[in-house]
Amino acid sequence: MRTALSALTTAWLRYCRSWGLWALLVLTVIGARFMVARDDGSAIVIAVDHHLPVATAGMVGVSLGIVVSTLLLPAGFIYLRANTTRRQPWQIEEATAASRIAIGLGRFAADCAMFAIVLVALTLAGWFLAWIVVAPGRLDLWQVTYPLWLIAAPSLATLAALRLLCDALPWTRGALGETLFLIFWLASITASGGLAGRGTGVGANLRDFAGFARPLIYAAPPGDPDIAIGGAPVAPGRLELDVLAGVCSPGYIPSRLLWLAIAACIAIAAGVVYRPHRPRRTRRSSRLSAWLTPGAPPKANAAAPPAGPVGLPWLSVVLSHARLIFPGRVALGLAALAALAGLAGDNRHVASPACLLLLIFGLSAQAGRTEARGMQALLGTMPVAVWAGRAAFIAAGTCVSVVLAVPAMLGQGAAAPLALALATGAAASTLAAALAALGGSAVAPRLLLLILWYGYLSA
Amino acid sequence: MQRPETASAVGIVHHRRKTAIAFPGARIALAGMRAPPATAPGGTVSDLILRDIVKRYGQRTVLKGVSHRFTAGLTLLTGPSGAGKSTLLRLVATAERPSAGQILWNGASLPGATKALRRRLGYAPQAADLPDDLTARECARHIAALKGLDRRQADAQFGAITDAIGLHADINGRIATFSGGMRRRLIFAQALLGDPQILALDEPTAELDPDTARRVCALILARAASAIVIMTTHLAGELAEAATESLRVEGQTLHRQTANAA
Repeated sequence: MRTALSALTTAWLRYCRSWGLWALLVLTVIGARFMVARDDGSAIVIAVDHHLPVATAGMVGVSLGIVVSTLLLPAGFIYLRANTTRRQPWQIEEATAASRIAIGLGRFAADCAMFAIVLVALTLAGWFLAWIVVAPGRLDLWQVTYPLWLIAAPSLATLAALRLLCDALPWTRGALGETLFLIFWLASITASGGLAGRGTGVGANLRDFAGFARPLIYAAPPGDPDIAIGGAPVAPGRLELDVLAGVCSPGYIPSRLLWLAIAACIAIAAGVVYRPHRPRRTRRSSRLSAWLTPGAPPKANAAAPPAGPVGLPWLSVVLSHARLIFPGRVALGLAALAALAGLAGDNRHVASPACLLLLIFGLSAQAGRTEARGMQALLGTMPVAVWAGRAAFIAAGTCVSVVLAVPAMLGQGAAAPLALALATGAAASTLAAALAALGGSAVAPRLLLLILWYGYLSA
Repeated sequence: MQRPETASAVGIVHHRRKTAIAFPGARIALAGMRAPPATAPGGTVSDLILRDIVKRYGQRTVLKGVSHRFTAGLTLLTGPSGAGKSTLLRLVATAERPSAGQILWNGASLPGATKALRRRLGYAPQAADLPDDLTARECARHIAALKGLDRRQADAQFGAITDAIGLHADINGRIATFSGGMRRRLIFAQALLGDPQILALDEPTAELDPDTARRVCALILARAASAIVIMTTHLAGELAEAATESLRVEGQTLHRQTANAA
């Protein structure tokens, strides 16, 4: 109990001192503003059967719940993985007799408390928005609050638990953790969207992890309602939706409570399956692993002269970044395979996304390495300025992207694949550099770029 | 032959089988908290035995056939960089498991006895991902809680330890503002919390100025009077005189260097 309490208070203290929490609060409140649609449908809309819903207090609450599911879940995951509580003294913690379950539960409680603060901010923003958009006679602050908390709280608690689970296992502490979370997030939204029909009960509602589908579907006109979130065309006139009836529909509230319980179970499971940070075990030698691992270094020359200056220092930094974006034979082999797919045909939907996906992992890893605090302290003492180093990184990423598009250019003519490679490479590199510089790690660029990549693949 | 009583520059007065500390801060390790019994619950003297330990990282064998019995007193581990000193210490500190062989704590074999050993362990790794946004005191409180120590007593003991090693004035400062030496002292101080029966210290005096290093050494020797203290170092220097034994890690195994006391 004392261990859990200490983990809770320590993590809470750290959250209170974190600039990232303020960034998350600002992002949430701004996101809330954009989730309340304009009448012309020019901004982000929530439309049912191509009509915007009438702005009721309940609808504002549900809209804010959608902010959580679409915007706050990935942002929250980035915050948990990349910001204040990323550094834990595991070297010391793992040599104590303290229960990992207790430590995990303490941190889970702190994460939930932090998300509760975010929800309070979102609630206040919702009250303000409701005061502006809801007709004066229909304003009821409670009707804004409880749909929002019912939708958002279980999702956020599960997010906190999933973060713990990802941090508990060696192979999900890195890029795989972010990728799995992305898959989970996309799958959860898809599953919620697929909640067609009016099947009720706890089991049916459990599929709606994001929590916003049931209130919308339950209140929609009979038939198979068409629900659109995002930039969808809307017809004139608004639709009256009793979303509060959906919130109170049979099985909905128990399903949300069940998700809270599932989150707590995941947090406990994270403690049970926790594996310490230990050096990786390399597999026994095989021909493949022998080829993949670098061999013995060349014989050292004791009389080697001191290294002289390079003619174009900035260019050498570009080349160095380019080499480190795809380090090792595995990465190079995969990149070559993805690039060669460009010869086959559909560059836009096969080769380009495949190359971009590999580039995202390479770019985010290299940006994370470069922007690590210790590395920045060292880079600050180099003749090439830090900003010039970042520019070199962007140039390197763009060049690598263009090189990967060479087979497609040969197969289909230069113009279109080149333009695509230049645009995607430059955008991905710039975002990776900016986000890694902000967060000081590879987590934020990796997750955000993966989300954007998914959009690119689907478009 | 009985050795004459001598006083070294650190103020350590040592005599055969007896070490007393003249340094003013030396007794504070025992202040603030009740010292644990020098013997195991069963009444036997605490000991830690390594039996035919092998540690491999992939193809590379770091330790091979290492056997040793650690008893109360200071054991210095020396040897060239990369020889396996820190690996041996991590094995003792249960931060890693051996590839083969057995570790016995008071007669019970690990991993079964891991929890029992950890309850009596203080471990100062070479580096730790200290939470920069906490103060030293907050960090120590958290680690004390993980060790299952009383918060007030741990606070008092942490104050005493940090006072002795010249860190007390900074314990309310954020770790982010700490220098390398201050971080090193914080890692050392947390290891001493609760007066553990076994102390595993990985180069605790690295990055410290000579005066602070002497203060740290005085505390280490004070603990060595009643606990098993295993310490890796490149600069044994004055400590070698006071150490119970000095072992050299080289060529994947342990070599006994000197022994001041049986």
